[in-house]
Amino acid sequence: MIRHNDMLKASSAAALVFALVLVGQGATRLQQAAQPAQPGAALALTVPNKEDSLKFAVLGDFGTGSKQQYELAAQMKRVHDQFPFELVTLVGDNLYGSERPQDFRKKFEDPYKSLLDAGVKFYASLGNHDDPQEQRNYKLFNMDGKQYYTFKPSTKQSVRFFVLESSYLKPEQIAWFEKELQASDSDWKIPYFHHPPYSSGERHGSDTQMRDVLEPLFLKYNVSVVLTGHDHFYERTKPQKGIVYFVCGSGGQLRKGNLDKRTGLTAAGNDQDQSFMIAEINGDQMWFNAISRMGQVFDSGVITRRK
Amino acid sequence: MFRRSGRLVPALVLACVCAYSCSRTSAPESADQAKAAVPGRAPSPGDQPVNADAKAVAGFLDRINQYVALHQKLENSLPKLSKESTPEQIDKHQRALTQMLQDARKDAKPGDLFTPESQVVFKQLLAKVFGGPDGAALKASVMDENPGVPSLKVNDRYPDNVPVSTIPPQVLEGLPKLPEEMEFRFVGNDLILMDTHAHMIADFVKNAFPQ
Repeated sequence: MIRHNDMLKASSAAALVFALVLVGQGATRLQQAAQPAQPGAALALTVPNKEDSLKFAVLGDFGTGSKQQYELAAQMKRVHDQFPFELVTLVGDNLYGSERPQDFRKKFEDPYKSLLDAGVKFYASLGNHDDPQEQRNYKLFNMDGKQYYTFKPSTKQSVRFFVLESSYLKPEQIAWFEKELQASDSDWKIPYFHHPPYSSGERHGSDTQMRDVLEPLFLKYNVSVVLTGHDHFYERTKPQKGIVYFVCGSGGQLRKGNLDKRTGLTAAGNDQDQSFMIAEINGDQMWFNAISRMGQVFDSGVITRRK
Repeated sequence: MFRRSGRLVPALVLACVCAYSCSRTSAPESADQAKAAVPGRAPSPGDQPVNADAKAVAGFLDRINQYVALHQKLENSLPKLSKESTPEQIDKHQRALTQMLQDARKDAKPGDLFTPESQVVFKQLLAKVFGGPDGAALKASVMDENPGVPSLKVNDRYPDNVPVSTIPPQVLEGLPKLPEEMEFRFVGNDLILMDTHAHMIADFVKNAFPQ
């Protein structure tokens, strides 16, 4: 079950030149670039920000080293100042191009330094641009040498994440995933990985082969939310068989105008600016905000978990 | 697709390997016999198709095991990576391993791992997977962000600026299981064996996609 507020919530501090264009049902698109929200001004977040919630962010397709990546990272820090998320789930394509030591600095450690310094942990999944050997052994990605893994972030809420390697879903991985889902007694089981089972991307779109294999497991084990990237925009789908799929693939990259409004999948989307997402889980509810590089909260809502 | 042909192909691989291990003595000994055993070709009297394919697959896996033994021996000679390893240490480790493998296999050539006999079987396995009703969708998935590289060479580092192709689970299910150090990937229409620790192309099959 989902309630959502799809109207773009412009920060009061944002000087803006933007317009909304509806994309499918209830979706939003920034048509013109907005000016960045002023540093120091409060962002118009709509999450409850309760003390005992699990708070996390979602970021994907970010490791470009570009000015836009750094600007979005700065917004993430501003959000963190208001909403202290404890971890960031990385949905892949963490470093584009070369992955030499200097690239880890330029494309990850430098832009997110203030978050890392604040103790925020980043948990990576691998995308098709990522070198598994370099990244799974990289301490700050918290993969513990594994290409797929699971973790329970805190004892505050009953949540477990399942991190898959979607470019190489070998039978052993699928069997492992089911075993872990079956063994988990967490209320919220949240898988995340790079390739989206549902997406309105004109470039990539829905990965139906992967969906055929994973969706039955999501349904069988009461998954409510799936986090992905790959298409370089933000999209929240309408519930698909009761599950909401997020595409958070514009953490540094951006493919403007790539959301295909004809798919009928989109509940909300933004293919006009880099963005990331924050989420808060408390009990049976997950609140979310999607936030642009300019500091606009352009999508928000609350999802009640499947039982 | 996954439930139909997706189950058929692993069954073929399994049958090949089981038949090979259970009746090695009756396996054909020539590549010609192996080729004759390939589905789609008319079998002639005396052909033992399962054994021919099994021998080819087993021969491939033997080569893989030898390669991985070398890989592990060389990797074990390097300082171990720890949970505290820096990007410098990880990068140094990977490049040192690549160099050692290149030195140890300086005469390596295409077909050393993908033997000619196994290439025939691999192409048949892939033809089954991609020739099914969902073949076009599977191929589209593999070819997504898969531009290929101008010149594929054994022992080359996989290019940093070329994303790896996605291999759908339905395709992986149809291929022999590899050790953790190795992966199948496509580069354009070519099937490669990727050494994931060394980020290196260990071997390849040209034009592995069914035409």
